[in-house]
Amino acid sequence: MLNEIALTDRDAFAIGAAMYSAAFLLGMLTLLVRKSYSHSITFILLSGGCLLQTLGLNLRSAEIKACPLGNLFEITQFICWSFVLLYFIIGPAFRLRLLGFFTAGLAAVLSTVSLVAPGWDAPYPPGIFGGNPWVELHAALAILSYAVFAIVALVSAMFLIQQHGLKNKQFKGVYQYLPSVQQLDLMAKRLLITGVSVLSAALVCGAVLWIHEPELVPSFKLAATCLVWFGYLVVVILRLQKRLVTRRHALASIALFLFALASLWPVQSASETKLDATPVEPSNSVQ
Amino acid sequence: MSKVLQSLFVLGSTHHEAPLEVRERMALSADKAASLQQELHALDQIRECLVVNTCNRVEIYGLATGPQVEDTIRNHLCACNGVSRELLDTHSSWHTNLDVLQHAFEVSTGLDSQMVGETDILGQMKDAYAKARKAKCTGSVLNRLFEKSFQAAKSARTQTAITRGQVSIGNVAVDLANRIFGHLRDSRVLLLGSGDVAEKTAQSLNSRGVADITVTSRTFENAHTLAHSLGGAAIEFDDFAAQLKRFDIVISSTAAPAAILDRSMIAAALKQRPERPFFLIDVALPRDIDPTVDKLENVYLYNLDDLSTIANENLELRKAEIERARTILKGYAWTLWLQLRRRTLLARK
Repeated sequence: MLNEIALTDRDAFAIGAAMYSAAFLLGMLTLLVRKSYSHSITFILLSGGCLLQTLGLNLRSAEIKACPLGNLFEITQFICWSFVLLYFIIGPAFRLRLLGFFTAGLAAVLSTVSLVAPGWDAPYPPGIFGGNPWVELHAALAILSYAVFAIVALVSAMFLIQQHGLKNKQFKGVYQYLPSVQQLDLMAKRLLITGVSVLSAALVCGAVLWIHEPELVPSFKLAATCLVWFGYLVVVILRLQKRLVTRRHALASIALFLFALASLWPVQSASETKLDATPVEPSNSVQ
Repeated sequence: MSKVLQSLFVLGSTHHEAPLEVRERMALSADKAASLQQELHALDQIRECLVVNTCNRVEIYGLATGPQVEDTIRNHLCACNGVSRELLDTHSSWHTNLDVLQHAFEVSTGLDSQMVGETDILGQMKDAYAKARKAKCTGSVLNRLFEKSFQAAKSARTQTAITRGQVSIGNVAVDLANRIFGHLRDSRVLLLGSGDVAEKTAQSLNSRGVADITVTSRTFENAHTLAHSLGGAAIEFDDFAAQLKRFDIVISSTAAPAAILDRSMIAAALKQRPERPFFLIDVALPRDIDPTVDKLENVYLYNLDDLSTIANENLELRKAEIERARTILKGYAWTLWLQLRRRTLLARK
């Protein structure tokens, strides 16, 4: 059935990115001109973007006959798709106003950058997971944890904006639509604990592969992954001890997510180098 | 004839001329305002006198026998509130004759208020007038002026939409509390003092379902009475600092001459509840809460000026109505001016 679709996978990703961008720009425009912000339009555009991204991932998956997580482009698209999907659960369930607008913004940036960045969609040898279920579980959990951390970063950004408005006595525009600082702070805390738990589980699965075939996991990738995990773990512990709260917690969450995103590129490059150098069946995923 | 009318005056220091930190120095206690009124009325040059003293204005209305009374009035006010003459001169206004009528009418209508169109000022003007009349400080001119101003205010309010879309301080406080806490069902409110604005703010929060309201005041009976009317509890004034950590919203409106909540007190309470924000509303003048408290993380401090600015954000929409009200008041002021002149003329004949 997928063969009958006239779109290529990149076309679907491109239209998806355009829909995310439209949702964000439309939201930005209504907030700037102080018109009533439409949650429904954002929701519809995000749903459309997510559907097209799902189609793109399916087309890519059919083409490579595996989960599309083999290069930086696919990993970025997958993370983007995952946190948009997560938004559809968290947004309506916890009624976090404007989360859709911020999700659309991050999705637009990540999907567009991955489409235009040269060399991100480089070809790679088939069978990257080597039929190892632990690696596939590791990849799926790692992607899910990144999606959670993306939402944590968005919620933290929303917290900082709302706090800035309250501290500077700003009442109109974006501030009136944002959820309360306490709600955002609590949500960031809960999501961060969830994200760290999922990433820990991903690392446990990855460790099974590492114990059996340590030569398949590049040391740089291992170090960067452990650093990201350790960073998030420290933030969670400090938060639970109530030593890192509100503003500093939000700043730490955003900084860690940016670091985690930035570490994807060198980690993936290290993995690709390893793949090229290793004659055995390669095994790779996100961190 | 014109000699009498030319000596109708009003000296005022309001939110138009003075920022909050100056207004809190200009503020008079009720006793001081009453004694100033008596003191001025006892002067030979002053025939009639009335002091309006609210959180946003100190105004002295009067009728003088001669036009050279401005210096005398200014010096008496400076002596009463202990501010320098230079400070008063910089942050005050002086009107005479027809301008006094127009000004009094605009004040009564709420056009001169910090939150344009508010209705509390009319009650405060009536109260000031009743007290001055009871103290026999007013006479035929100020009596007529004030009675006419109440009539004009009522007329301007009913003929225009100046109060439509007007946001009260209570509503602003509720909106801000929602932006801080989300819902108010877990929020606990502490009322420091039993001021009118604080009481109304607490009522607004209460109507949105706050967890509970606690009142404290230097006079425990006042606290108990207010707590009873709000369905809350009263605590001793000396205990509130120790119990501060239990509360999320603090509304302060005491008549204390200096700050009663400083940075160290709030910081100590915050340490015991670092994840929960503090929303502090300071509607007292002089201010009850040290302004540097706002620098603390997770503390949101709003004073009278902040709340009024937010409440006036939709002022643009009411501009046309305000102009219409002003025109109506001008008509009333001009008619009264002519009546006062004619009356004086007839009396002289």
